[in-house]
Amino acid sequence: MHVSEVTKIRRKVLAEVSRLALEGTLEENIAGILSTVVSEDGPRYRCCVHKERAVLKDRINMALSQPIGTPLAEAAGKALGGERADLPAVNLLPEACDRCPIDKFLVTDACRNCLAHNCIASCPKKAIMVVQNRAYIDKTICIECGMCKRSCSYGAIIEISRPCERACDLKAIVAGSDRRAVIDYEKCVQCGACKVACPFGAISERSEIVQLIQRIKDGQRVYALLAPAFIGQFGPKVKPEQIIGAIGRLGFHSVKEVALGADAVALAEAGEFTRAVPAEQPFLTTSCCPAFVAMVEKHLPDAGDRVSTTVSPMIAAAKAVKEEDPSAAIVFVGPCVAKKAEARRYPDLVDFVLTFEELAAMFVGAGINVAETEAGDHLTAASRDGIGFARAGGVTQAVLDTVAHLAPGAALKPQRADGLADCLAVLTKMQQGALDANFLEGMACQGGCVGGPGTMADQRLTAKLVELYAGQAPVATAPDNTAARPEIDLHRRKK
Amino acid sequence: MSTLLVEICLGTSCHLMGSQDIIDAIESLPPDKRGKIDLRGVTCLKTCRKGPNARINGVVLSEMTPERTLAVIEDNLP
Repeated sequence: MHVSEVTKIRRKVLAEVSRLALEGTLEENIAGILSTVVSEDGPRYRCCVHKERAVLKDRINMALSQPIGTPLAEAAGKALGGERADLPAVNLLPEACDRCPIDKFLVTDACRNCLAHNCIASCPKKAIMVVQNRAYIDKTICIECGMCKRSCSYGAIIEISRPCERACDLKAIVAGSDRRAVIDYEKCVQCGACKVACPFGAISERSEIVQLIQRIKDGQRVYALLAPAFIGQFGPKVKPEQIIGAIGRLGFHSVKEVALGADAVALAEAGEFTRAVPAEQPFLTTSCCPAFVAMVEKHLPDAGDRVSTTVSPMIAAAKAVKEEDPSAAIVFVGPCVAKKAEARRYPDLVDFVLTFEELAAMFVGAGINVAETEAGDHLTAASRDGIGFARAGGVTQAVLDTVAHLAPGAALKPQRADGLADCLAVLTKMQQGALDANFLEGMACQGGCVGGPGTMADQRLTAKLVELYAGQAPVATAPDNTAARPEIDLHRRKK
Repeated sequence: MSTLLVEICLGTSCHLMGSQDIIDAIESLPPDKRGKIDLRGVTCLKTCRKGPNARINGVVLSEMTPERTLAVIEDNLP
């Protein structure tokens, strides 16, 4: 996983904000971040230091969960007071967007200035002419219909799209009238793919690290729910128990495994499957990925009642903690950006959502070096299958194993989809009855959660390490796990 | 055979700034070069705010990138 310069800047901002908040000097020193992260003589990515600082202001507002354009001291004050603006999880940073001046269709050197001139003939707007022995597209007339590209016998006309647009499988991000990217929240499911794709770092998720730090400082019992993809996020040499120890040093009261919630989900979902398929519905889909669930709600609402009514492992785990300690503050820590949107539907259960990247920034801000931290408690009260939820195919495995236990005769025919384009295509086919399957695992990120936008490690490596860790679990499947709590109500809240 | 000692910091601050990329770059060097490098991970080089840090032949270098690291290695290979 390549850490680009924009990634470094985003992480430096988060680490500095954490450091100042932990020190208790955020409000006085917030403007100092402008010069610590971008120095006068430092490397320059934009036209001038002023532009870089303008961009940084957007980033700082996002790191404080305040609206873009809020004066920094005011934003810091609000964040310290626990305020969080009502922002989507994924936001555009207007100053950072380079308004990519991309001409969608471009004639390349492969143009032979042939006699047929299929491009000219095909253009409905007569926007193409021959200039210097080559086809030329007049951008002032072109409507970007793509006819010329399709008609050229040499494939000499190429289509270029913006990285953010290309990354969005749901076509939820487009260039606005001023060429700045605009996110269409009617279509967006907050998966974070555009954030990863933008080479200018112009899309970012809101962060609530300051509000969280204040909550810890206030002395509330704050629980971390650690998603199973955490294995290996701090490098392959760092032990899981060291990460747990480091979270304790940050002032968290306790660390719980989301994988334990995953066991409860596997039990509930397998029960639902055996009850409802095929008697009430032809197939059932998973519901653990919030971006997948939102995709169904927004793009394929007809399939809404095929989605499992079971909550996600995050919510299941949160419910279990809240039952034991009703005054707990709960922080989900994982690879996911869409969880930040999901958590807003359950404000009584989940107080904060952190990505692994944000957790690491908090460690850096606190001067905690995980590689030198003593091991904390060993977790794995979860089953092998529960831990396996972290990677694509894991949920299927867990539900398969659980169904085999609950209803040995039931025939579960699984189908998997990862990446939202794949999810949309496969679900559409299943709706039409065109696939011989009665269970769909839908994962918005390629590779499943290990490939999420909030990760810090290569997903193939993480998948391997998760596998190894899961192999050490005391029990294999959810039904074997006496610690799983299926008796809690695990019904999902709809929009 | 003499080897070049290359130590890469695996501390959290350096990890966040991409020290794993540097390790990956060294690991994927062709065998003749990789064989001359004694690659080790260390947990801190005490210059956390300027990571990723590396120590090559005993000299601590800050704000490293995979490219810069490979260039320094190239200059120092035995």
